[in-house]
Amino acid sequence: MYVAQSFCHSLIAAMITDRAVKAWNIHDPLVRQRFRLIVILFPIVSFPLYQLINPVRSSALFRLDSLFDINRWLFLELWGLMPISLFFVFFFAITSLVFLFQEMLPVLRHTLDSGQPEHDGTRLDVGPFIEEASRALSIKKPEVVLLDEDSPLLFSTTGKDAVIFISTGLRQALTTEQMQAALAHELAHIARSRRPLLIAVFLLRIIMFFNPVVLVKFRRAVRDEEKICDDIAVSLTRNPAALAATLKIFFKKPDEAPEPDPQKLFTQNVSLEEYGHNLHLEDRIRRLEAGSIDTMEHWGVPFTFALLTVAVLNYFIV
Amino acid sequence: MNKALSRFLSFTIMIGLLILALKVINWIPLAMQQDAVRRYNSIEEVRSTLNRKDIFVPSYFPQQISWPPSAILAQNKPFFAMVMEFTRADKRNTALVISQSEGKALNVENPIVILVITEKVPYTIKGRDAVLTVGSCVNDEPCSGITWIEGKYTMTVLMKSTPFELTKIVESMLR
Repeated sequence: MYVAQSFCHSLIAAMITDRAVKAWNIHDPLVRQRFRLIVILFPIVSFPLYQLINPVRSSALFRLDSLFDINRWLFLELWGLMPISLFFVFFFAITSLVFLFQEMLPVLRHTLDSGQPEHDGTRLDVGPFIEEASRALSIKKPEVVLLDEDSPLLFSTTGKDAVIFISTGLRQALTTEQMQAALAHELAHIARSRRPLLIAVFLLRIIMFFNPVVLVKFRRAVRDEEKICDDIAVSLTRNPAALAATLKIFFKKPDEAPEPDPQKLFTQNVSLEEYGHNLHLEDRIRRLEAGSIDTMEHWGVPFTFALLTVAVLNYFIV
Repeated sequence: MNKALSRFLSFTIMIGLLILALKVINWIPLAMQQDAVRRYNSIEEVRSTLNRKDIFVPSYFPQQISWPPSAILAQNKPFFAMVMEFTRADKRNTALVISQSEGKALNVENPIVILVITEKVPYTIKGRDAVLTVGSCVNDEPCSGITWIEGKYTMTVLMKSTPFELTKIVESMLR
């Protein structure tokens, strides 16, 4: 019952929050991410919470008068042979496997690998920008390490002593402004990792491993994280065009795309939000080039309204 | 202000449409499958709709119990189950619940729950082995219940009363 209801509750929450985002014309990735967190976190607690409030919520009479009763569909038999619940089981099993292989195992591998740093490089002096930007973000200035690698690589470790890694190939391809934009983006990741919201959400979301709605929304929240860091980088450099140009170096058209190398994916020291995801560079480049970096300050009212709607409506979804 | 109002309206309209869509989606399986749990107006309706002839109904009712049942819920899928609720003559609250089921009993919203059990004993009723439970419900009201197996059905009768009235009702259900 928990599985079926939490799935329904997340689906309804996704519909409501999507409508709220559209109705209030929300483009700020930070606010959009908060709306997505409702979809990810709410179904974890909704069922036990509702049962606690009203223990007879699972009764036949309550179900009859409810807005939507999933049991009606689960026990429905197709051609009198196969209950629809079998399709749900299949659907949830596929989602669980996707979660296991695309999220859980890479994270475990990353955790094991992070104990053995394997990126040897030379320390790189990138001038006063990194010091000023670190001060602006109230973080300790990270070390920048140059990796001897022709392909464009840029990533950071976000531990106590954060390190930004940049490949020689990327360094040669970037102008000074682009280099600053790239470093600012990584600094933003380091700064945001001081409040590791997504890691906490990921740990909680493990409970929802079977839930395809939560799977999709978590991935979108991760994509939002990249846009949030883009915005922070632009606030530091005041140069969205430079960041867009930097991202273009990573962007490859499908016919140029190299064969995926899973071995490399697992051994790269990439941040959590990058696992199994395309960075949606095209969308980010378009956004930066359009200069549509808008922040939303008064998001509390639509957020509260959406959250209350989710809570009230889902009470009648059994 | 107008912008804020139009946004609020747009959101509310979409939520209204979502509720409407949910109602329709909720109604579809009920329309497709007569066997799903639903309310019935009479016992006869249950017999004819679910094609069940062997529904056990008491022929004796104490004066304080009103006829017909105030609520009848029944289903054929995933198993047959039926619950009849009877109120007191003043119609205020449920005083008798009769449950007949091939699987587990239907969970109804306002069942008679024996909170304090003072006695739980084997009991023979018209040759059937039953379990008689005596105790009290909310507000220390005397309550009693009987459970037994009747062919393929599990029967449970709960009443806000002493076991004396209850056994008379149950006896009138059996031949």
